Amino acid sequence: MTFSFPWVLWFLPLAFIPLLFKQASCQYYSWNEMIPKDNLSRIISIILKCISTFILTMIIIGLSAPHSRQQEIEKVGVGAQIGLVLDRSASMDDPFSGSDQTKVGEMKSGAAARLIIDFVQSRKNDMIGMVSFSNSAMYVLPLTDNKNAIVSAVRATAGNALFQTNIGSGLTTGAELFNKIPDSGSRAIVLLSDGAGRIDAATQEKIKDWFGRFKISLYWIVLRQPGGISIFNTSFKTRDDEPLPPQIELNKFFKTLHSPFQAYEAEDPKTLQKAIEDINQKEKNPIKYFEKIPGRDYSTHCFVIATIMLIALLILKLIEVRSWL
Amino acid sequence: MVQAPQLFDYHIGWKSKGKRPGRHKSNERGMGIEFAGHTTLLSYPDPRRIDIRQSIRDPLGQIHVKIFNQRSALPVIIVCDLSASMNFGGKNKKINLATEVTQSIAHSVIDRHDALGLIGFDDEIREDWLAPISFRSQHAFTLINELKHFTSENKSNRAIKDLYQYMPRQRSLIFFISDFHMPKVDLENCLSNLMRHHVVPIVLWDKKEYKHLPDFGIVTITDPESGKKNTLFLRKELKEKIVESFEARKQLITKAFMNFDIPPFFVDEHFDANKMTEYFNQFVGT
Repeated sequence: MTFSFPWVLWFLPLAFIPLLFKQASCQYYSWNEMIPKDNLSRIISIILKCISTFILTMIIIGLSAPHSRQQEIEKVGVGAQIGLVLDRSASMDDPFSGSDQTKVGEMKSGAAARLIIDFVQSRKNDMIGMVSFSNSAMYVLPLTDNKNAIVSAVRATAGNALFQTNIGSGLTTGAELFNKIPDSGSRAIVLLSDGAGRIDAATQEKIKDWFGRFKISLYWIVLRQPGGISIFNTSFKTRDDEPLPPQIELNKFFKTLHSPFQAYEAEDPKTLQKAIEDINQKEKNPIKYFEKIPGRDYSTHCFVIATIMLIALLILKLIEVRSWL
Repeated sequence: MVQAPQLFDYHIGWKSKGKRPGRHKSNERGMGIEFAGHTTLLSYPDPRRIDIRQSIRDPLGQIHVKIFNQRSALPVIIVCDLSASMNFGGKNKKINLATEVTQSIAHSVIDRHDALGLIGFDDEIREDWLAPISFRSQHAFTLINELKHFTSENKSNRAIKDLYQYMPRQRSLIFFISDFHMPKVDLENCLSNLMRHHVVPIVLWDKKEYKHLPDFGIVTITDPESGKKNTLFLRKELKEKIVESFEARKQLITKAFMNFDIPPFFVDEHFDANKMTEYFNQFVGT
């Protein structure tokens, strides 16, 4: 219990002024000993004596704004710390490759947002953070258990986009989400992208180092481009000296990570859903997290009590007999 | 407006020792009609009273006279409680009622040519409210007329124990006006000291003290004598209790008085002189 304005409490002695003054109204009687003892009367006389002091005390305490401190409660639930790294490149606004190209299908980004929201809502105690990237990473949301924030963040990704796909920057920023956050034992980054970009050697080292250090497992969901090469196509041979296509190269790199890695390829909303369900199944470990409970403000309570007491005092005053002689 | 006070008739069941002729039975020889006996003319030289029949019958030839007891005047003292509890009653204070009663008594006493004295007391016998017994009772009358303007200043009635010191040695009629709001022990001590006199306690109670209390409400009452404050939550239950308490008190003081063979005379709100006359009728013939 703390007070926002503790100096107001210095006025507390003023509350005892009514006790010093004698009751203003009194009737002379002949001999009080003739009055039989009455408990209710005694209680009321005590109330009358103390009620004004009590009201003043309540008002002064109320003015000093008492409130309880913010509390953090450690909770244990089933879930994971998940960093969502979402691709915001312009190609995400295209329909899926799996559908007929002449028809208008669901946008990749729209489907991803819808399914990820479902995913977020189906998980109970996850801490989820979010980073989106196109030509560079955008830090959206730190790891939090506030579902409303996550859902809003995911919805906000459906906006204007840029063309490039800077996966390296997205992953490093995503890994940074876990920095200085206690390890719950189950950490994962879900990387959702279409296609891939190349990652330079320095960034690769950095990613490898950080993913290993933070023990982050990586789930990569590739939304395949129309006619694109599957990342699972191991037999793909390049002509001559040309480098490998970026997605295959990236897949190879991810496999060298020290932490678990799993890749999915989605060609339509259904396969995307399957991939997400698979992640949902895998990431179910007990998680320890802290829930912040804001401090409660008690000044209103004080004022309400003071008001009730005031009304009681008024009623007592109303039924007071002024004179019957 | 001055109203003529009501008069009442009072008798006593005992013989007064007053020298002065008056209306009451007495042992004093004199011009009465109550035959007391014979004696010789030598010892009571009143030739008007010579009893010829008795003189003739006397073999020694002495002349006898009849002796009669005269009717004598009676000393009457009004004792008035001036304690603060007599202030009770708002507009129509108990002290006003006391004034009415004393005026009635005083005029009745003058009507019967008896001697009148007045003693007022609170925590001490008030010298300024003391009128010695006199057949010319102007002083007492002055005080009685002042009485209605009297307001006590938070005094109690502790001087009740000293009252007897101010009483005449002769047996007198004492009208004791008070509300008798005092401990029973004090009352009994006082009465045992006044045993030689004929005390008529006039108990002034106000119905506003108990029956006419408000039916509902909160009131803080102050005891005028001790200054103690009590807060009461008046309601039916408590009011009944208070009335009961007063009934019990009535029985208690009646019993205390009757232990001394003194029937109390209760007055509430109005003093009825006829009732007072009736009250004295009970002493006739005893």
